Parts: sequence; structure tokens; C-alpha cells
Amino acid sequence: MLKILEMTLKTGIQTTKYPQEPDIAPLDFRGKPEIFPDSCTFCGNCVAVCPSNVIRIKEDNGEMVLVLSYCGCIFCGRCDEVCSGGAIKLTQEYEMASRTKDDLYCIIRRKV
Amino acid sequence: MTIEDEVHIMGQQLHSRITRIFGRSLHIREVDAGSCNGCEVEVNSLSNPIYDIERFGVHIVASPRHADMLLVTGPVTRNMELALLKTYNATPSPKLVAAMGSCACSGGIFGDTYASGGGVDRVLPVDIYIPGCPPRPQAVIFGLMMAMNTFEQKIRRTEVVA
Repeated sequence: MLKILEMTLKTGIQTTKYPQEPDIAPLDFRGKPEIFPDSCTFCGNCVAVCPSNVIRIKEDNGEMVLVLSYCGCIFCGRCDEVCSGGAIKLTQEYEMASRTKDDLYCIIRRKV
Repeated sequence: MTIEDEVHIMGQQLHSRITRIFGRSLHIREVDAGSCNGCEVEVNSLSNPIYDIERFGVHIVASPRHADMLLVTGPVTRNMELALLKTYNATPSPKLVAAMGSCACSGGIFGDTYASGGGVDRVLPVDIYIPGCPPRPQAVIFGLMMAMNTFEQKIRRTEVVA
């Protein structure tokens, strides 16, 4: 029994202090994809490889529009791999809970 | 009194109302509506000693009749649609619905097909969306705390003209 007590004392408290203190995800964690609008060329590579079809490119009144929804994104990182300009990167951000679906959209427009 | 002040007062009233209705505790019933079980693994780890959501007064209960909130995972398959509706009707009001995982948010990798419903919000009104495939336990804690109005929403719709 003393051995168990010793083990317990040695282990200490393992519970995370998460909501009080920020918890930073590991470096290779695949979190929220972020788009750098200036490097994007609207080539459509990411649209072609996205397994859950959450990246879309459409033309609207002479504007190219890229729509990314975090809602169905499975964070596979294929868009990051195929993007030649490095315009889309997966970050370590994971606190994405939202009250509306509308807040989970990322839209980029450019005049042709 | 400006509009901002009014909104602020309304927000405080809502907050006090929610704390009055739910107390400081939240009881969750987890519903698997055709999930791949990745989200369930994360829900299991919520009650282990490392993440330990019981310290916030959040409990996972065994019956919808004991619950304040339904934590739905999976894209709501045809077979689970009726079961999910029955679970929702068995939960006493006031109740919250949280969609956990990308599938529950909008179909995710399963998409919108013959057998998969394409998201919980087509069947039930959803209060909180928690995207992630699966979401980290910390992300789920964040979502639950947001449902209890302890934290503010961080993500906003971004629209950039490049």
C-alpha cells in the first residue's frame, strides 16, 4: 500500500489547466487552414484535391471568389501540400466552436 | 441610452437567465448518429483524469431524460434519423444541441448522399458547432464552455478582397 501511495505522490496532478491557461497544440498539429489572399493564384489545385469539397471557386460579376468552409473540413492538409504558392497553410489554431455556420466561412474575392 | 448599452444589458440578462435555468452545471447526453467513432474516443477522454470535465460541473449522463444538452456526432444516417428525433423529444426543455465534429456540422467526409443526412442542422436546431475531425478534447471543452456562456466565440466570418 505504501508503494501505491508513493507512486501516487510521484505522479502528481496530471489534469490540464486548459480553460484557465491556453493549451498550445503540438507543432505538427493540423488545425484551422489559413489562406494568405495575396499569394493565391486561383489555380484550383486545392479545389481538385479537397476530399470533403469544402473549398470552392466560382466566378461572380467579373470577380473570382474562393470560399472555404471550416464546417466540413477534415484537416487532412492536402490543400497545403498541393498549393504551389504556399497560399494555404494549416495552423495550430483549434478553438473553432461557433454559434452559427456563417461564422465558419472564409471568403476571398479578387477582380479579374 | 445607445444601442450598444441596450445590447450589453440584454446580454447580461440572458446570461443570468441561463445560469438560473441551468445552474452552474450541465448534463450531457452523447448521441452517436452514424459517426466513425473517432469523436466518441475524444468524448471518452473528456472524463479521464487528464481533461476531467467533471470539475466544471459538466457530466455525461446515460439517459436523455437526465440531460440538458445533446452532443451529437456523425452525419445523421438514415437509420439514426428517427432515433435522434426521439432522443431530442425525450430531452426535457430547455435543451441545447451541440454538433460535434465535421460530419455533424455539415456532412464532412461523408458528404450529402443517399444514406447520409449531411449534418445535424437538417434534423434539429443546432446551438453550437464544434468543427474538427475529430476535435481535440480542448476544442470540445471550449465549445461546451461557450455553450455555458463562460467563453466568447473566437472565430468570425472573414471576407477579404485581394
